[in-house]
Amino acid sequence: MSAFSSPVSRRRDGRGALLLAAVLAVALPGFPVAACSAPGGQAARSAQQAQGRGQQEATTQGRRQSSQRAVRLLTEAAQAAVLTSYQGEEIVSRWGTGTQPTVLVSEIWHVSGGQTVTQTLQADASSSGQPYRSADNDAQTPEGVLGVTAPLVNLLKQNYVLAYGGAGSVYNRKAQVVEALRGDGSLAARFWLDNATKLPLEREVFDRAAHPIGEDEFINVAVFGRASVSAPVGGVAVPPGPWTNPLPPVQLLALRSQGWLVRPALPDDLSLFTGAQATTSSGMVLDLGYSDGLSVISLFEQHGNLPARLAGWQQTTVDGKIIYVTEPGQRSMTWSSKGMVYTLITDAPTQTVAAVVGTLPHDAPPGFLGRMSRGLARLASWVNPFR
Amino acid sequence: MSHLGNRLSALVDGELDGAERDRAHAHLAGCEQCRAEAAELRALKQKLRALTTRAPAEAAMTSRLIAMTGPGGPQPPRRRLLHGISGNGVPRSAGRGSLRPAMPRPRRARRRRALMIGAVSLVVGLGTAAFTAGGGGEAAPGPRITPQVELYGIEHAITTGGLPNISPSAGPPALPGPAAHATNP
Repeated sequence: MSAFSSPVSRRRDGRGALLLAAVLAVALPGFPVAACSAPGGQAARSAQQAQGRGQQEATTQGRRQSSQRAVRLLTEAAQAAVLTSYQGEEIVSRWGTGTQPTVLVSEIWHVSGGQTVTQTLQADASSSGQPYRSADNDAQTPEGVLGVTAPLVNLLKQNYVLAYGGAGSVYNRKAQVVEALRGDGSLAARFWLDNATKLPLEREVFDRAAHPIGEDEFINVAVFGRASVSAPVGGVAVPPGPWTNPLPPVQLLALRSQGWLVRPALPDDLSLFTGAQATTSSGMVLDLGYSDGLSVISLFEQHGNLPARLAGWQQTTVDGKIIYVTEPGQRSMTWSSKGMVYTLITDAPTQTVAAVVGTLPHDAPPGFLGRMSRGLARLASWVNPFR
Repeated sequence: MSHLGNRLSALVDGELDGAERDRAHAHLAGCEQCRAEAAELRALKQKLRALTTRAPAEAAMTSRLIAMTGPGGPQPPRRRLLHGISGNGVPRSAGRGSLRPAMPRPRRARRRRALMIGAVSLVVGLGTAAFTAGGGGEAAPGPRITPQVELYGIEHAITTGGLPNISPSAGPPALPGPAAHATNP
């Protein structure tokens, strides 16, 4: 047993403490006062804690109110994109793998509750050809502006923290700013919504490294009265496309029994939220729409195989898989596996695209024995006189 | 006039006695035909003699070669050079008499070697051809599909509420004109 643990030693330690207190009282006149007022200090701390809790609650309540306001604004924007008749120019800039963005400029006409007509006016340098127009004749799933539609707003609420960002302006139009934050607090997107009409005017999208990957603007906006427009703007009837009305996820998942690959979700919180089918000259095509509220991946499937040569496509490797892309930005890509042709069109970040490509089916390289076996089979078929 | 006939060859061979030889010579002096035949016979006889005088030298060479190979017969050249001849040129096996006949052995080896080379060539050639033919895409069953990017792009645009991010294709150039009652809020 050591001397420091004996009761005597403890008494000696107590005397040492008293001596130290006396010295401190002489050296620091305020020390006895502070020591004697210890119960008062606890009260102050309690008050501070209460105040902190109050502030925290206020902050939480403020965030909740900010989030509710942001959700309300985005919901109104999605409704405005449907119910308002408007015309304007949409400028879409996408940063893919290169430093220069891909820019598309389109003129948009929309009639309240009905048709949206889009005509591309200017495309990026890699594009060419005459302009074309697209139309959505289905009033149940109207085409929005800048990706602000009701289904995407719902996904946005699920996957991001929405916050009201204050007032702003876009091209001299007063706007309300809404921010979408990731779980780690980083900024994922920012929306500018028109004060008067709630129409989306601008949207910026950032990746996790805070680099901009998309910027959309809706400019030169002209708004028409709802009651005054009863026909498509300009009186032009756009024929419906080959696609069916959008199918709900439940109906899409049921198509798995018919040999289609329908996954309820893809990596990076991408959920199946819509889809459609089209009958083409080469067979039935299934479109599956996945999104997290900001990025959309359209996965097209068709039974068959890619031809030996694909004009206009370049072979590349994504996540170790050999695929074909149409442009340097790799926004459209295709490959075939086990009798199914997969085509992706997306505006998602590159990392998300790579993860999605990696999780979908791909044919493994045949290997030496596989290649030899296939070659022998081909040689045999070539020399077979009865073939 | 009767010619010499068989006596002509006997005259050439020196087999006639004195009286017969004189009569034969007298006939040759007056008969040009028998003289010509006698000349031909002599020439033929000289050629035959010349052959018989070279033959012993060749026979000696043959016998020497046979002696070198020993009683077992000639060996393959390589074996003879390396193992069959001793330092003084005498075949080692000359006194043994135990060497097997060696002629079938190189034939079998050559045949085996030829078969092996042929088999290896066949395998290598077939393997190269199979590896080459096995390259390229998998000839999977089913139709060949070229993705209709324009069609897909428009559907993607409708899904996203954005713009089709595809290369614009040919389409109707007519545009809907701007509405006359457009008003700014």
